[in-house]
Amino acid sequence: MSAGRRRVGRLTTGALLSTALAACNGTTSYLDATGSAGRAEGTLGWWLTVVASVVVLFVCVAVLAGVARHRGERNAPTRDAADEPGDEGAGAHRREVRSGLGWIYVGLAVTVVVLLVTFAGTMVTLNAASHPPRTPALTMDVIGHQWWWEVRYGDPAHPDFAFTTANEVHLPVGEPVRVRLHSADVIHSFWLPQIAGKTDVIPGQVNETWLEARQPGTSRGMCAEYCGLQHAVMALAVTAESPAEFARWAQSRRAPAAAPTAPEAQAGQVVFARTCGVCHAVAGTNALGRLGPDLTHLASRPTIGAGMLANTPTNLASWITNAPGLKEGARMPAIPLDGDQLRAVVAYLRTLR
Amino acid sequence: MAVTAPVERPSASVARLQESWETPRGWRGTLSTVDHKTIGLRYLVTAIFFLVVGGVEALIMRTQLAVGNEHLLSAGAYNQLFSMHGVTMIFLYAAPVLSGFSNYLWPLMLGSRDMAYPRLNALSYWTYLVSGIFLYTSLPLGAMPNAGWFDYVPYAAREYNPGLNVDFYALTLLLLAVSTTVGSVNFITTLFKTRAPGMSLNRLPIIVWGTLTASVSNVFALPALSAAVVMLFLDRRFGTRFYDASAGGHPLLWQHLFWMFGHPWVYIVVLPAMGIVSDALPTFCRRPLVGYTFVAVATVSTAMLGFGVWLHHMFATGLPPLALAFFGAASILITIPSAVAVFSWLATLWYGRPWYPAAMKFMLGFIALFVIGGVSGVMTAAVPFDWQLTDTYFVVAHLHYVLVGINVFPVMAGVYYWYPKFTGRLMDERLGSWNFWTMFVGVNLLFFPMHVVGLLGMPRRVYTYPTGLGWDAYNLVETAGAFLFAAGVLLFLVNAWRSRVHGRPAGANPWDAPTLEWSVPSPPPAYNFAVLPTIGSRHPLWEGRLDEGVVRSRLDRGPVLDDGRETFATTPLDAEPAAVMRMPEDSYAPLTLAVSLGVIAYGLLFSLWWLAALGAVATAACAIAWLWPDAATAFAGTTRTEFGDLPVGASGRRGVGWWGMACTVATEGAFFAYLLFGYFYLASMSGNPWPTRVPGFGLPLVNTLILLASSAVVLWAERGIRAGSTTRLRVGFAVAIALGVLFLSLQGVEYGREALSPTHDAYGSLFYTITGFHGAHVFVGLVMLAVVLVRALRGHFGARRHEAVSNVALYWHFVDVVWLAVFTSLYVTPHLR
Repeated sequence: MSAGRRRVGRLTTGALLSTALAACNGTTSYLDATGSAGRAEGTLGWWLTVVASVVVLFVCVAVLAGVARHRGERNAPTRDAADEPGDEGAGAHRREVRSGLGWIYVGLAVTVVVLLVTFAGTMVTLNAASHPPRTPALTMDVIGHQWWWEVRYGDPAHPDFAFTTANEVHLPVGEPVRVRLHSADVIHSFWLPQIAGKTDVIPGQVNETWLEARQPGTSRGMCAEYCGLQHAVMALAVTAESPAEFARWAQSRRAPAAAPTAPEAQAGQVVFARTCGVCHAVAGTNALGRLGPDLTHLASRPTIGAGMLANTPTNLASWITNAPGLKEGARMPAIPLDGDQLRAVVAYLRTLR
Repeated sequence: MAVTAPVERPSASVARLQESWETPRGWRGTLSTVDHKTIGLRYLVTAIFFLVVGGVEALIMRTQLAVGNEHLLSAGAYNQLFSMHGVTMIFLYAAPVLSGFSNYLWPLMLGSRDMAYPRLNALSYWTYLVSGIFLYTSLPLGAMPNAGWFDYVPYAAREYNPGLNVDFYALTLLLLAVSTTVGSVNFITTLFKTRAPGMSLNRLPIIVWGTLTASVSNVFALPALSAAVVMLFLDRRFGTRFYDASAGGHPLLWQHLFWMFGHPWVYIVVLPAMGIVSDALPTFCRRPLVGYTFVAVATVSTAMLGFGVWLHHMFATGLPPLALAFFGAASILITIPSAVAVFSWLATLWYGRPWYPAAMKFMLGFIALFVIGGVSGVMTAAVPFDWQLTDTYFVVAHLHYVLVGINVFPVMAGVYYWYPKFTGRLMDERLGSWNFWTMFVGVNLLFFPMHVVGLLGMPRRVYTYPTGLGWDAYNLVETAGAFLFAAGVLLFLVNAWRSRVHGRPAGANPWDAPTLEWSVPSPPPAYNFAVLPTIGSRHPLWEGRLDEGVVRSRLDRGPVLDDGRETFATTPLDAEPAAVMRMPEDSYAPLTLAVSLGVIAYGLLFSLWWLAALGAVATAACAIAWLWPDAATAFAGTTRTEFGDLPVGASGRRGVGWWGMACTVATEGAFFAYLLFGYFYLASMSGNPWPTRVPGFGLPLVNTLILLASSAVVLWAERGIRAGSTTRLRVGFAVAIALGVLFLSLQGVEYGREALSPTHDAYGSLFYTITGFHGAHVFVGLVMLAVVLVRALRGHFGARRHEAVSNVALYWHFVDVVWLAVFTSLYVTPHLR
């Protein structure tokens, strides 16, 4: 799905560049969720939607029926009654006034039954969605930053399994993953709608949740709690894949970056280490910064800028020279590189697969 | 002296009444009037002005969101707009517009000549206006609030939000808290003290129940917001650590306090509006409301349950399952009283003989919107599904169906219904019909697709969104609906403007309505009622055709009370006359006091301490001038009426002053309760030993005994003056003042001893804030004691005149009770671990 992509203009243009958010990482719908918790929540959601629709339909019909019932009756107030408050002249008013309390009794009884059923369904789903079906082997530490996601994989049983990536999550189908949520700054909310509901990311506490994909596919995750200027642009790409594919992916992620061979990319590495390495890390090099996303395998990620732009050479170049112009408030400064340096750095980044 | 024997159609007294009650024309009258009808209309007009402002903000946002990847607005501009839209609509429109109706209607519905505190009423309005102006000075400064109306920390903390934006938010809400609190105290006191004879509780119109319930909720809910905002402002400007997770604070403290206020607030802005429907719908169905008692009880119980569901705004914050289950259940339970109201309206329609002017159309539309907003609320109460729904456009749809459906639509209905009473002319029905249908179609086009786009995963509070996720078409329809809805509001404004002059003359009761406000001319005279009515049933104007009992209301003869501004003070439950109250004249004090509060706010905003101090001095001066004993309203003997011999210039035992003080004490008590909640919440969340340093026990214990002794002395003095002993009053209050001063001095000594810092960690912040606020209350209590003592020395009080003594004594006892809670929490509980 690359409908939203649009070619970004010249590299050095200013802040008014119009950009298209990259939507290339799939669906966000959750009534047809594919994760374990998401499915339970989706089932409950469908039932609630049906019940809600029936109730709304009933009341609308009752209002219309109440209106229709009195069609043809006189449609204006009796003026004599209006002129003389309390006057007995308005004969029609003198007919017996029904108490109508039956509506309230019956309505209350039906409401209580519907609510009890709703509550029961809620509790059953709550139980299913709160706990993973078995103890997860994998652990993810997700750190929310203004405005991107840092993702650290770990396996308590295999300390050398650990690796770090950014703005992407891969899940092995059928394996529950334990997720610990940390905030580097303000409150965010971690949400992979196809997999499971939200859990807030709150400074001062570590919230835990769990994810289990039940079928392969890609989808879109995002921040769901307003966290400042670029809350709208804080997405992450979700890939659910077979355990074997996941293992291959994890293996490639653990490997340090391969040294570039082309001369331009080698030149780019030098510029990168000097200019970008303060904030960004590339494993296996002397770029060790931790302020920004780990870029060891940048070239294999679908987007840059936390779902902002498709990961193309042109977009990379404009991002490097003008990140705050593209994403107002982004912590990454505009990097003043000349044309050769910029081409070299982009060439280097393209080698980080 | 008033001669208040029953008088037949008193034409001579009408001239006297007109002279007493009329506000002079010109700017003097404009700035000093305390007429509840003028104030009510000002509230309505100002609130609808802010509705338009907030609406324009919404239209700009909808234009941005019409298609994906639109960059009409920068992220920063959009974020300021959506924050301002929320703050404007929720605080400057939704609640004040209902205050407008209630201010205008209450005395007319209850059968009195004004609210219990006419000047407080004016203060409430002026402070509201000042807070609105204050908030919108952020526009030219380019520093509008930008952290949402919910203003979550730490994004709203200084570290992440260093501009004036959030300071505007905080100070606006404190100003509004003053306005809303004094307004609520006024409503509560008015309800319990100034009803017409015979207007017992079971005869109140439902809008009165709604506003009363909302006012009581305000008294207990607003202090949560005030406490949260005070802590936020202290954190931002003085470096305290309430919300700083790195120093023992916690960002969730804000969320708890905010939603402890926020959820009751939802009911505060819908219950009076539901009351509008419960009162006006029966008129157009030409029969009484089905299940009056059920609806009244539902109104009160909704508000009570509304205090127990705040956690459902926080389901995704990582709470334990038991809390989730409990608050999920409570949130589902709160549907029941709303269902009662819906079935009552349906049955009223079913068994009535309805006709459909614009007001009625709005009410029927309201029922549909109410139910849609209600059932989507139940969906969000289902905890696990809420983990998906929360913070998506589904919630935007839900809350707008609630607020537009249950507030704006009844407000429209209410304006069409009471406009003839306000102006003497009817609004145009043809235009009204167009108005209704454009708004009804518009609101559904605008908000219904938001449910769908929310279920498709579109998050809230995004300034733009990517295309290709299935969201695009819905957003375009929403924007079209927004403009249609806006066109409907425009039709409303045109209709309201034109009908002032061109509308059909209405007469006293154009709708053949049953309630008391329709018994007086349209628009009503300044004095409301030429004779004070006696009420015999729930529908005084329909008694001829309903069989509601043998007692008949008496509207055209009765007590006149035309010796200056007078009205009855009645007993709280049965509304039996207890006294003849002298009502205050027009006054500039409310305006100057409100302006002074605004000056304080600007001083604090810009850190201009001299300006803040100037405002504080001006506030104190205005308050003293306001409260200066006024010979005209002082006790002036008794008068003979058909209800027996009543005191004049007083309001009886447990009088108006007592009710006002009792409400003040309740809301201040709640404020301390929320501060202490903060203390125990942070203690429970703290990973570190708490408190960081256990405070000394001895000195505070001595201080406790000193305060208790002072309370005993005040009690002794008050008993004394009731028995006629001026000496006991003088001696007692002098001793109490000495003890109070001693308390404050020892508190100062203790501050010197405790090596705590208010800015080092959250415990220090809490310690100084809680004891500091208590100390400030002791100081205010001392000022009150001193004023009473001075008046006692001048011989102002006696066995039958001691209302001020009792009220000040009540306040002083309250200050002592608060200290016991503070002492137990801060000094005793640390020793219990």
